[in-house]
Amino acid sequence: MTAEALRKENIPAAEARVPQRGELRPVEKRTITVAVAGNPNAGKSTLINAIAGSRLHVGNWPGVTVEKKEASFEYAGARIRLIDLPGTYSLSPYTQEEIIARDYLVNERPDLIINVVDATNLERNLYLTVQLMDLGIPMVMALNIFDEAQAKGYRIDVGGIEKMLGIAVIPTSATKKSGLDELLKSAIATAKDPQGHLPQQLNYGEDIEMAADFIAGELIAGHPALIERYPRRWLLLKLMEGDGHVQKVTGFGGNLLEEALRHLKRAHGEDIEAVMAEARYALATGLTREVLQKPELPKTELTEKIDRVVLHRVFGIPIFLAAMWIMFKLTFDLSKPFADWIGAMISGPFKRLAEALLGAIHAPAWTVSLATDGVIAGTGNVLVFVPMIFAMMFFITFLEGSGYMARAAFVMDRAMHSIGLHGKSFIPMLLGVGCNVPAIYATRTLENPRDKALTALLVPLMSCGARLPVYVVFIGAFFPKHGGSVLWSLYMMGILLAIGMGFVFKKTLFKGEAPMFIMELPPYRMPSLRSLLIHTWEKGKHFLIKAGTYILAVSIMVWFLLNLPWGVEHKKDSYLGQVGAIVAPALKPLGFGTWEASSSLIAGLVAKEIVVGTMGEIYLKKEAANEAAKPSLGEELKEVGSSFLKAAGESAANITSTFGITSISAEEDAAKAAERSPLRAELKNQFTPLAAYAFITFVLLYMPCVVAAVAMVQEFGTWKWYGIAFGYQMFLAWGVACLVFQGGKLIGLGG
Amino acid sequence: MNLAQLKPGEKGRITAIGVSGPLKRRLMDMGVLVGEEVKVVKVAPMGDPLEVFIKSYHLSLRKNEAEGIAVEVSL
Repeated sequence: MTAEALRKENIPAAEARVPQRGELRPVEKRTITVAVAGNPNAGKSTLINAIAGSRLHVGNWPGVTVEKKEASFEYAGARIRLIDLPGTYSLSPYTQEEIIARDYLVNERPDLIINVVDATNLERNLYLTVQLMDLGIPMVMALNIFDEAQAKGYRIDVGGIEKMLGIAVIPTSATKKSGLDELLKSAIATAKDPQGHLPQQLNYGEDIEMAADFIAGELIAGHPALIERYPRRWLLLKLMEGDGHVQKVTGFGGNLLEEALRHLKRAHGEDIEAVMAEARYALATGLTREVLQKPELPKTELTEKIDRVVLHRVFGIPIFLAAMWIMFKLTFDLSKPFADWIGAMISGPFKRLAEALLGAIHAPAWTVSLATDGVIAGTGNVLVFVPMIFAMMFFITFLEGSGYMARAAFVMDRAMHSIGLHGKSFIPMLLGVGCNVPAIYATRTLENPRDKALTALLVPLMSCGARLPVYVVFIGAFFPKHGGSVLWSLYMMGILLAIGMGFVFKKTLFKGEAPMFIMELPPYRMPSLRSLLIHTWEKGKHFLIKAGTYILAVSIMVWFLLNLPWGVEHKKDSYLGQVGAIVAPALKPLGFGTWEASSSLIAGLVAKEIVVGTMGEIYLKKEAANEAAKPSLGEELKEVGSSFLKAAGESAANITSTFGITSISAEEDAAKAAERSPLRAELKNQFTPLAAYAFITFVLLYMPCVVAAVAMVQEFGTWKWYGIAFGYQMFLAWGVACLVFQGGKLIGLGG
Repeated sequence: MNLAQLKPGEKGRITAIGVSGPLKRRLMDMGVLVGEEVKVVKVAPMGDPLEVFIKSYHLSLRKNEAEGIAVEVSL
């Protein structure tokens, strides 16, 4: 959603809400709304986690991909609602985060602002404070990371800040949980007496103040409604800055404004925005000089020492790659045994249990199939992603919280920028090789919506783990001697096409948008485990509930496609087979224009690995189900427990088994290989080697699976990007597979 | 002389910001202002972006962004 649309959405909501607010009711009877604002890296998240803990609710701001944290709780008899505003350096209307923060503050008018300020970086943090003060909302300052500032030998005159700004200032340390009670008490005291806690009006200098007075006079005379509606000081300054949005909404501008600014422009230059920024920084610098004393001889900081190694000209990249390898390994190899366990439990004991229960009440056969193959299998499809999503969220949050994410972007930016991406895009692309779903969720580390969308569009070209079983079966059947090179060619094809498509999108969809790379390299800090766990849990829960519902629905839909009309003898007569038969002619130029192949590909919508399973069902006659003695309930339960322990053991072993990625390999384990051998033999009758290669190329490139689709829709709040991904990938898959098959025939590789 | 031409370890004072629009505003919001002292700390392993020290914190920016910032070398 564009910034414009976002604003339009917010304004009516604000108008509707303002009159409802009971300003005269005593504090004890109503909820105190507290907006928490501050710079990124000022410890805002940790502070909120420390205060609200498990009462925290993580979601998104409406219509955008920016995270929104909220918590409601009681403290000392008062009801408090905390709203975490996105971390921003300023309130200028250029980034999504800034627009959200400022629209919230201006339109929703919280009872007070807690401004989280990094005590080790006072000057730049106070620049935002100055802008927050312009809003005229009661404010309390949390002078955070105070312990670290003291350890560095900084001496900060807290009383001095209070006096100069007219607000309460509470030194806090979110990681050590100190000062939090004082902060909340101070917030309640401020809410009880808002008039007594209004921030001082800061003096921007004679020329600016003169112009502001002039405009104030005009507004009072000609537009009294505007003064009522917006914070007066803020409105004046924004009009002077030439803020496009404010001018449009207020309709104030033109000659009157020109007249007001004439002297200012003559004395300070045409760019009033720059004049304002300089005036604000002058205030921040002046205040810092008054209240902060740094030690004479600063120590070499730990951050600098680490950066000397981590950003080293020669070692920087190897260290980065090693860190990425560890993250990849931990995300996928750590979670895989648990995912396998969940998969096995769902298709084993749980399915059998459901069958037994439904059998006992004499449910019709189709309902048993719907319950087990549709609902339970669908639930399994959701649950197998959970360990991976949790692991990924944990590591991404750790990388961000520790400060290494910014370094990763710094190291990789040159390479990624050359294909139109951002340094931070590397991590989602890498995760994509394991699974596209966490990779798409990982794009949230990119702040710029353009970078984010472009990265998410290219992620599906990274060959994920679910495509591997398809490759492996075909490689086993057709290219057993060249397995390694065929597999390698597929992964490389994905990467090269991602680079190519990156260029195409840069020149078409994202033409003219020049993203920037102005990024703080924050000091390294150890994120608190509590904060990491809360965040990981919240995000994982979000996936389970929101994405889970969609995935389950699609799984059930596919069950209907596969099994209806009920009682079909032959798969060809099922709805899936019928759709496959319609699609098949379109695949003829690619060398596999049969209903069997196209039906399998359609079933791959759920997950690409399902292509293999469906092929098994379609090509092979069902063997007589070997009704071995069914295990008793007690045995089943024992199996659940013991296999979980085995999974935990495997997970631990995967971490310690140093090199190599267990989840990516062209080898099948012996049991699976034996199970698949009849299918391989049948495939040899159905495909030529050339058509087989075209088929796996198609599997690599065609539409992202439904879980990736849900992830995209969730992350972007719109179907737009998934639509584009679906379209271009179908086109690409068809084109490249056609090129492979027809080109191969042309140079005599046989059809 | 612009900021991209400084070598790691060199310091300069910003004399003009020759970019405009959102990029200029963003730079100013990050404290990149005329008169400010800036030191180049590092160049990324692949030669771009730069790490600079300004207003007592570390900032990274691409070379093409740094080219728009005029500086005079200070000792």
